[in-house]
Amino acid sequence: MTRPPFAVLKLSLILVLAALLLAGIGTLWSRGKALDTQAALLQQQAALNAAQQKLDRSRQQQHLIDTNLADYQALTARGFVGAEDRLAWIEAVQLANREVGLAGLEYRLTPRAASDPTLAQDLPLGQTAMTLTLPLLVETDLLNFLVALKARAPGLYRVQGCRLSRLGVPSFEAVNQPRLQAECELLWFTVAQTRAGTS
Amino acid sequence: MFDHRLILLATPRQIGVLDWRPGHMHWLGEFSASEAGLAAFRQVLLNHAQLPVLLVADTVDEDYRSEILPHVQGHARSELLARKLKQVFRNARFTGAWRQARETTGRRDDRYLLASLTDADWLTPWISVLHRERVPLYGITPLALACQHLLSKLRPQAPHTLLAFRLNNRLRLSYYHNGHLRFSRLISTDTPTQLPGNAADEIAKTQLYLAGQRILPREARLHVLLLDPSGQLDSAQAQLNTDPAFSTRLIDLQSLGRALHIPDAFLAATPEIAPLAAIAGETVQLNLAPPELLQRHTEFLWRRGLHAIAGTIALVGLGITAAYWLHAQDLIDQTLQMAQQQQQLDARYQAIAQTFPVQAATPEQLAQTVSLARHLVSQPADTAALLAAVSQALSAEPDIHLESLAWRDGAPPTADGMPIKLDAALTSFDGNYRAAMQRIERLMETLRAVPSLHDVRLLTSPVNAESSSTLTGKTLNAGASNGPAARFSIELVYREAIP
Repeated sequence: MTRPPFAVLKLSLILVLAALLLAGIGTLWSRGKALDTQAALLQQQAALNAAQQKLDRSRQQQHLIDTNLADYQALTARGFVGAEDRLAWIEAVQLANREVGLAGLEYRLTPRAASDPTLAQDLPLGQTAMTLTLPLLVETDLLNFLVALKARAPGLYRVQGCRLSRLGVPSFEAVNQPRLQAECELLWFTVAQTRAGTS
Repeated sequence: MFDHRLILLATPRQIGVLDWRPGHMHWLGEFSASEAGLAAFRQVLLNHAQLPVLLVADTVDEDYRSEILPHVQGHARSELLARKLKQVFRNARFTGAWRQARETTGRRDDRYLLASLTDADWLTPWISVLHRERVPLYGITPLALACQHLLSKLRPQAPHTLLAFRLNNRLRLSYYHNGHLRFSRLISTDTPTQLPGNAADEIAKTQLYLAGQRILPREARLHVLLLDPSGQLDSAQAQLNTDPAFSTRLIDLQSLGRALHIPDAFLAATPEIAPLAAIAGETVQLNLAPPELLQRHTEFLWRRGLHAIAGTIALVGLGITAAYWLHAQDLIDQTLQMAQQQQQLDARYQAIAQTFPVQAATPEQLAQTVSLARHLVSQPADTAALLAAVSQALSAEPDIHLESLAWRDGAPPTADGMPIKLDAALTSFDGNYRAAMQRIERLMETLRAVPSLHDVRLLTSPVNAESSSTLTGKTLNAGASNGPAARFSIELVYREAIP
């Protein structure tokens, strides 16, 4: 084949150029469409994953609610959740004291303080120290008092420590006179209620 | 589609047209060399415009020469052949050369077959029609070359073959060496070849001529193939077989039809299509057409190539576009499916969320609060057991007067246990600190013996006998009853005994 006879091949060359143009336009158009749909697919994939995670989380939350709601409501009723109810605590101490039959007791409540973060576990946990001073006839009175208080306690508390000491050597042995004094420190715990709602 | 072409069989009296494409052929008829014939021929060309055309010439005015030429290539070969053709055939217009083989010895020259149509005036009207109608003529070749392809399809075994082909009352004798055309001659109707004896004579004379020209080796035995659709050469076979210089084989139409894949009836009606069909799909090795006649075919090839390129580009573009489009459709379907799945998930989430109670805390906080509460009230100190353990030890030491007992409990409780501080005094202390220390030590041993009490150590003793401190006091008389109290403190740890 010799040198191309361009003069008689104009139409053929135009045909080639037209084919090139059309093929290029078609390819670019379809590629753009494919890329757009690819992006839409990825976006939809992300939305689907988010919806799936949301559903999974809601299931976990449902499980948590089913497992813990009754206990939580009971804790709320006891006063562990919400504002502290100091009057109820004092009332419980008085009732326990009367039940055991002790002569009387002194109490002192300190201002509410935030608990140790390691104990609070990111919850708004607060603690109020209550110091009780109570006279005892015998050592078992303390044990009976603590058992009675545990039965009546409206919230959650923990006995931090006690000190039993003698009131001194009496000149004579009088009946029903306290010979011992107990000083106990109790920590009342409360969790402040926050408005968070479900998600 | 690309192999569709017209094959023309031109003789001084007429021209036949075969419409050929692989697997199909159609005989369009013969047209005489008259005004009417030329017009009809032109109409046939118009009806088959843009088909490449091969013209096969069947004439007595042809000449063949075998030449040994130096082996050159490219432009040098073209010039060499042009000079040689001009030298051999003078001013003949239709000449051509075919490089058939290369010598294996000596300079390894090239062996050429030169051919020419020595008188082609009769061809001019047909060529003019082709030129006027801009027909892409791609070759002019002698019928002997077409017969060479016919011969190859018959697969003769002998190296020296003479094909006697009787067509239109004319006998063509073509000699082939190893399947390559070396010589051909046409005996026209003016000679009395209709007699079988004359045909045998012509074959014998041709054999003598070939031997005389040293085209055919003298000792070579010539294998003669007799091909005559009319059957008039059958009797020549017997005459030739009497001569040991020949071996003959009669080709019948059935064998020819099988070799060419042409129905027998079609071949019997138009036997001239046999060589045309044989050469139709082959490359033209010996082309007698001058370059100016091939210009249309050159344009045709370029045009067809460009159209093929355009078509290929369009197809590729269409294919890529279709692939992308289908891919996009697939992605759209996937997106729609995902959207439906998302809607289902959202609906299920809404159904679950509606069951959630109106709660101040999140479910996580709720669970955490419950867990914390359990943790805070877990493992409360067993005060009774603690007092019992201390009491057990003190009971063993009645002369120890307990003054105070203090303990602390951690929140939450730790594995270290509860620290206890015990303040006590010795009863009936007579001032003998050594004895007092022994009694205190005994108490400590008693405390250590209790399983739940650990790490017992003396915190303060009745007397500090360390060298680094000041020690004051007074001694008592023997039997003194109210001596100074011997107070001491003991620190220990209470851990519930593991059963």
